[in-house]
Amino acid sequence: MLEFLGTIGGNILSLPGILGLALGMMTRNVLLAGIMGGLVGIAETLIFAKMSFANVEPIELIVAIVVGIAAGCVGCAIRRKGTTV
Amino acid sequence: MAKSPDDRGRLRRLWDWFWGPTAVLSVGFTLLAGFLAGIMFWGGFHWTLEATNSEEFCVGCHTMETNLGEYRETIHYNNHSGVRAICSDCHVPKEWNFKVKAKIMAVKDVYHEAVGSISTPEKYEDRRLHMAEAVWAKMKKSDSRECRNCHEFEYMDFTIQETRAASEHQRAIDTGMTCIDCHQGIAHKLPGGWQEAYEKMLDDIDAPRFAPDENVMLDTTETKQYLDGVRN
Repeated sequence: MLEFLGTIGGNILSLPGILGLALGMMTRNVLLAGIMGGLVGIAETLIFAKMSFANVEPIELIVAIVVGIAAGCVGCAIRRKGTTV
Repeated sequence: MAKSPDDRGRLRRLWDWFWGPTAVLSVGFTLLAGFLAGIMFWGGFHWTLEATNSEEFCVGCHTMETNLGEYRETIHYNNHSGVRAICSDCHVPKEWNFKVKAKIMAVKDVYHEAVGSISTPEKYEDRRLHMAEAVWAKMKKSDSRECRNCHEFEYMDFTIQETRAASEHQRAIDTGMTCIDCHQGIAHKLPGGWQEAYEKMLDDIDAPRFAPDENVMLDTTETKQYLDGVRN
């Protein structure tokens, strides 16, 4: 459980959380925001696995993608709420 | 009748203020201020994380006294070159993602310090095997990532290693073994029944097994004696 929470926290403070949020803030399209966040999650997991899917742990990949999608959607919500363009 | 803006609650007014457009700040000022605030926040955050990596911080808790005493008797603390590894070098990953995960998981140490899970030598010995297993599993799963921050097979000169060490390191490369497969107890005392526990841990995490060999499970006492010899 603690390891799972640590994985979530690590991703929130890493590329999926931060870059996902930033990318989400660049669009008003929530689907696009989620996709961009999810892609960041995949990219980050691959980068830390030395670009090899063999080194990727499924649970870490799933958490990274989910956190990326969530961050992208939050970023999109911020864009919609906080801007007029 | 609709409420006037002044009837809104404090939180609601704060919320509306937060999302309202700035009337007195230029875009440039807002961007620059946000940029500077970001640098200060991130710098402070990172500095704090690094501060929690210091040896003084790690051994600041009463429950770490036993760990510290054992570590001080090893080559990782005291050796001929003066290069040493502190707690965080072995227990905290360098890569950001893994480091944050380790820091979050370390919250459990605060809990156990507070409830006194290992506050006496007897309690410590009772949990020694459990704690060792947790670290072994972590290292096995990460291919001894933290060991490899300093020790890499690629840069080992087998010609100046002890014959057995060179032979075992070559075998480790050939069979895909990792540091912790042989070097358990390199910085802390081993608990009783550690060999069986290590085997069980490998089963629990479905780790790949290696062909039985007379030297697969090295006697760590011999390794420690050799390292102590180097140190002295």
